[in-house]
Amino acid sequence: MTTTAKLDLNEDKTFLDSTELILNMGPQHPSTHGVLRVILKLDGEKVLGAECVIGYLHRGVEKIGENRTYVQFGPYVDRMDYVAAVSNGLGYCETVEKLINVEAPPRAQHIRVILTELNRITSHQVWLGTHALDIGAMTPVFYCFRDREEILKIFEKYCGARLTTHAFRIGGCQWETYEGFEKEVLSFCDFFEPKIDEYEQLLTTNRIWVERTKGVGVISGADCIMLGVTGPVLRGSNVKWDLRKAKPYSGYEKFDFEIPTGPNGDTYDRYVVRIQEMRQSVRIIRQAVANMPAGPIMAKVPKILKPPAGEVYHSIEAPKGELGYYIVSDGSLQPYRVRVRPPSFVNLQALDQMVRGRLIADVVAIIGTIDIVLGEVDR
Amino acid sequence: MLNQLTQYLQSTVTPGQAGSMLWATIYILVIFAGISLCVVFINWGERKALAHFQIRLGPMRVGPHGLLQPIADALKLLLKEDTIPANADKVVFWVAPFIVTTAAFVVYLVVPFGPQHAVTDMNIGILFMLGVSSLGVLGIITAGWASNSHYPLLGSLRSSAQMVSYEVAMGLAVISAILMTSFTPGSGSGTLSMIGIVEAQKAQGVWFLFKFFPLGLVAFVVFAIAMIAETNRAPFDLPEAESELVAGFHTEYSGFRWSLFMLGEYAAMIAVSSIAVTLWLGGWMRPFPNLLSGTNWDTIFSLVPGAFFLFLSAVTLYSTARMPKKLTFRIQTVGLGAFGLLLGAVGLVMLVPGVRERVQDIFWFMLKVAVFMYLYIWYRATWPRYRFDQLMRVGWKVLLPLSLGVLIVTGVVGLSPELMTWLKGVL
Amino acid sequence: MALAPIFRKIFLVDLIKGLSLTFRYQDPKEIYTEQYPLERPQVAERYRGLPRLKMNPETGKTLCIACDLCAKACPENLITVESERDPVTKRKVLTKYTFDLSRCMFCGLCEESCSTDAIELTPDYEVAQYSRDGMVLDQKRLEEGPDRKEYKR
Repeated sequence: MTTTAKLDLNEDKTFLDSTELILNMGPQHPSTHGVLRVILKLDGEKVLGAECVIGYLHRGVEKIGENRTYVQFGPYVDRMDYVAAVSNGLGYCETVEKLINVEAPPRAQHIRVILTELNRITSHQVWLGTHALDIGAMTPVFYCFRDREEILKIFEKYCGARLTTHAFRIGGCQWETYEGFEKEVLSFCDFFEPKIDEYEQLLTTNRIWVERTKGVGVISGADCIMLGVTGPVLRGSNVKWDLRKAKPYSGYEKFDFEIPTGPNGDTYDRYVVRIQEMRQSVRIIRQAVANMPAGPIMAKVPKILKPPAGEVYHSIEAPKGELGYYIVSDGSLQPYRVRVRPPSFVNLQALDQMVRGRLIADVVAIIGTIDIVLGEVDR
Repeated sequence: MLNQLTQYLQSTVTPGQAGSMLWATIYILVIFAGISLCVVFINWGERKALAHFQIRLGPMRVGPHGLLQPIADALKLLLKEDTIPANADKVVFWVAPFIVTTAAFVVYLVVPFGPQHAVTDMNIGILFMLGVSSLGVLGIITAGWASNSHYPLLGSLRSSAQMVSYEVAMGLAVISAILMTSFTPGSGSGTLSMIGIVEAQKAQGVWFLFKFFPLGLVAFVVFAIAMIAETNRAPFDLPEAESELVAGFHTEYSGFRWSLFMLGEYAAMIAVSSIAVTLWLGGWMRPFPNLLSGTNWDTIFSLVPGAFFLFLSAVTLYSTARMPKKLTFRIQTVGLGAFGLLLGAVGLVMLVPGVRERVQDIFWFMLKVAVFMYLYIWYRATWPRYRFDQLMRVGWKVLLPLSLGVLIVTGVVGLSPELMTWLKGVL
Repeated sequence: MALAPIFRKIFLVDLIKGLSLTFRYQDPKEIYTEQYPLERPQVAERYRGLPRLKMNPETGKTLCIACDLCAKACPENLITVESERDPVTKRKVLTKYTFDLSRCMFCGLCEESCSTDAIELTPDYEVAQYSRDGMVLDQKRLEEGPDRKEYKR
């Protein structure tokens, strides 16, 4: 920690406006969600500017992708956004499927949709818990993690892992659903909907929560689009853009659901949007289970995957925003280049604009509301 | 010497008033040790209660249900390396925690645990209490300044602003309670003495909480909010907001010095709660001293403390019986059973006729304070934290006008008989 | 009508709503904690944990045919398979099989690639160790499973 602006007595300034405080927030800080470092320029408690220093969790996922076969790279993408591993896997598998021109069979698509939407709920639960913790409410995080446990149990039963699931394979799914899968998913839906009401009971109308979030971190829809911000942050700014509707993938066009949006683009709106998204996810899951088709779960994919030379970009709506994969194939066993467009990384760029002129406490709230996962920002 | 010791026991006033220096010293020592012990176990209770609010178990490993956890924590803190940052102002850094702790403990000189159970009865008791307890902020400011680090500095600046603002509303709420003491029929003058305030409630036959309903209640609520802010607890725990300022003013402290801050914080919590209890909840008085008066009722209520401890003992023994019957739980089960028996023994001692009369005042007082401690934990478990500017807004724009209004209306309502006669005379 | 929100604000209804929820959850029945070493969770059948090499229960011989597919499938290249050709039957015989647990990420690609179901990730999840020594499992340890000390407390 250094004070850059040394007090110069000869300088023609008063004492008060000549001292700016440079505060290093992170990389070890309770509420930067991992190892994000934010350099804050402060005037008292007021933030004059923020600069993010990232890369503390860089593992070179893209480079790893160039040195693995297409199938082998599957488990690594789970480790980018580790709270939404299933979505990452879905995005990667769909991209490679697009590259080799294969489509997953309908049953596999339904399983994918169910698991991805469950994963969206877990991601939002982790977000809600940690965001509330940042703002000072200690308890929601425990309620969220308790309910998240039910989903993780379903993941564990389906694919054998709770967090880094590696649930999908190129061309479909590796596993058939276990016995009682549909019943368990439906009973989770019934169990979970009242729990959302409980989260809301703790927070939505609470005057402290409302005061801490309303009007904090406002960003307009136009600015969001300019910065490339996607996901609930974009939708909170009243832009109705959801890749599940705009460019349907994995059979999302078959499901009936709404895109929640918020009017003001502040932290409260993003909170409401994500809470609504959880409800919509439950709705999608219910439809997917009800219309679960029979049939194979794996398309015909050659054992040794050698895609034709070419390039492909495919993106899905991950819980945090648009998750895109760009893969260049030179016709060999391994991709020539893998590039990931992570939603957290892009959304984080809006931080500076959102925190200017706010207080330190708001910085924490805004980092929480952008919902970053450092594994994905740094890759 | 022995004579001096026994002589005081006949007295019905505090040792300070009776002029018994010996007993005053004993009281000071007992209160210091007792409050420290309370702090240690409130710490355990907070972790346990907070855990249960959050569907967790809390400490479970050290002793049955983690009962020995505070002792283990204290040992750890004492043995831990006590670091002082290289660029810190060493003297101030060293002194700061002692200021906080001293300020928190000196307050107990005038806290009336019973008509005889206070070190002394100062005639400016409440003023002394408010004055000394607000010295704690000095320790916090110096701690933040001496650490020579950004987070502590921000924390201590927040803390000073917060404590100064809330002291105003707090003081006005206190004044409205003191004003009520002057409306005792037949006395005509109020009092600042802590014991006098409780006696006034006794004489008026009502807790000040219900006096001039809802005026007493509003003043109490204002005080209850301001006291949370005064002691830096959630939802006003900005000076040590762990998600923003890491640990606020004590970020750079460790080991023993850090534990002094904790001791000071919890002691201050008990201190302000006892102000609230004394001013609005009838201090050491048992419930309904006027409604259910008479020797029969006195006997029944004096049995309550013993019965309470016996009940606790029964609960403990019941949960001992419900412990899992695994071999691995053997030591925990035995320990919990022993703790239950200990509570039972305490309960039985409290039922002995000579003891129970002297103990019941302390019991009722501590029970009321314990309710406040529970509320502190409950608030912490439920609500988010205010932001700095909102905190200031609540303090200056809501609580201050409210308490000022209550003060004025209390005065008007209290003087209404005189006002009416005056008005009649004028007309 | 407009009075209702003001009424709610003055009487702190929003704050009390939250308090009532946390108060309800104090019930000891709601406690969700698992006291781990005392209560061990039952993990699912498909759980991907400690690897194991299976043997034919009748003959006691390994099922592995040393085809090297698992070693090729592994993204981390942590499996080594060495074999030699039996001069009589002209078949490959496994001579050495090692599995470096310290680098394994339990993705399950080895067990999927195995043509004889010889390697399998078992529901044994207690794989943490104090040192890296002995994390490279050889054929014997993969077949027998770990000799583990059970901690009682």
